[in-house]
Amino acid sequence: MWQVRTVLSFLTIYFFWFAVFTQYNQIGTYTRTTMFAYLLVAAFLRNLVLWSDSYHACVEIANGDLNNYLLKPLSYFGNWLARDWADKILNLLFFVPELALLIIIFRIPLVFPTSLWVWAWFIVLAILGSLLYFLFSFLVSSFSFWYPEHDGWPLRFFMLMFLDFLSGAAFPLDIFPQPVTTLFKFLPTSYFIYFPTQVYLGRLSFSDQLSGLVIMLFWLLVFFYLVKIVWHKGLQIYGAYGR
Amino acid sequence: MSLKKYWRCWLTMGAMTFSSLMSTRLASLLFISGKIARIFLFILLLLALKTKITLLSGYTLDQLLIFYLIYTLFDLLGQIFFRGIYWYRSDLLSGNFDFTLTKPLSPLFQVLVNHTDWLDIPPLILTVIFLIYKLPSVSVSTLLGFIFLSFLAMILITAVHIFVAAIGVLTLEVDHTIWIFRDLSQMARFPVDIYTQGVQFFLTYIIPIAFIFTFPAKILLGLLSGRLILITVLVTVAFYWLVIKFWQYALKTYASASS
Repeated sequence: MWQVRTVLSFLTIYFFWFAVFTQYNQIGTYTRTTMFAYLLVAAFLRNLVLWSDSYHACVEIANGDLNNYLLKPLSYFGNWLARDWADKILNLLFFVPELALLIIIFRIPLVFPTSLWVWAWFIVLAILGSLLYFLFSFLVSSFSFWYPEHDGWPLRFFMLMFLDFLSGAAFPLDIFPQPVTTLFKFLPTSYFIYFPTQVYLGRLSFSDQLSGLVIMLFWLLVFFYLVKIVWHKGLQIYGAYGR
Repeated sequence: MSLKKYWRCWLTMGAMTFSSLMSTRLASLLFISGKIARIFLFILLLLALKTKITLLSGYTLDQLLIFYLIYTLFDLLGQIFFRGIYWYRSDLLSGNFDFTLTKPLSPLFQVLVNHTDWLDIPPLILTVIFLIYKLPSVSVSTLLGFIFLSFLAMILITAVHIFVAAIGVLTLEVDHTIWIFRDLSQMARFPVDIYTQGVQFFLTYIIPIAFIFTFPAKILLGLLSGRLILITVLVTVAFYWLVIKFWQYALKTYASASS
């Protein structure tokens, strides 16, 4: 049933843009082909980058199950990172064939990167995006140390309300006016889906790619250190409630 | 049991839910803020599209905004009154549903309305204010037509939740079923007319999403024919009747397996 929802979320977006492009040849700088290519790549990245099992960490902190890990000779962080990737791969094993089927049924035009270099670059950015989201998600989970009510869900819910919009999962962020697009460029959320997708489609100049990479690495470092600090402070006040 | 007693039961359960929400104020604040942010962000997207699109399937962007606000209105109303369905699966799994069946209250009433989501009230008020601000002047007859179709929409929303509850009894699957309905209903953030004919048919006659979300907006904009109002009445009556029969059938198969 979960997979049905994954397919539905793609179709909801696809049918809207299909309706738009039956009337218009171009929206902003997007033709019908580039928009559908964007949606396909964004759907793939949504199921890779934003598909994260690590949100259960906030439940473990909230109900005291964290104790089980603290006593074992393993890194809690590393353990979740490994489980996260296993879950991502499992999800893609289902989603990729489903997406292929949708491409065949709806005859969605495919666009591939122009060179192997772009493929490699896209894969690197997708991995970095996943890592960035993992750190971001872990930071949100750490909120449970201070506020274990509702298993840490309130802050995550709040964050999720923004995520689809600000990550570019449903539409490219550059359909907004230039000042808004520039603002988005400095937000970490743009690097989950929007930035790797733009690189895949070859829509960014070399300097834009470089500046994007610098901002992405900056956010990775910021989140890495924030997670370290927050985790350390969180463990100091951890009361193992529920145990 | 009389309607007055059901009303008192609902008030008591609502007051208990409210107390529970007030005991975790920060959580409630985050939930409300998230819900309001979702509405604002979508309106922001529509405003961005306004600079690129003049008409979509004959609708102006201002009209599309009305369709979105009506979608939000009924989506929130469904959640305010029928949030209980999200807690219902655990009762089925644990066998606590037996207690629901043995009480001198309709089990459907208990399943659907035992949890009123007061956190949806602030975004609802905001939506209504937006609607009043954005709507062109509406005649009394149009307003009466809207109220009538809103009543039918609420019956259909109730029917959908009963259908989900019945599926739950038969298969123990509840959460995904209601989420699939909500995912599908997101397509009604825009009028269903913009989609291809196959999708339109699906969203109108297979799952009555158009009757719940699109038609009330259309009548407000003076775009709904008398024939479609009649069809809405017939579909609502037929769908509700079928769903009640389905619920009764599901209850007969309930085996109370886990208790």
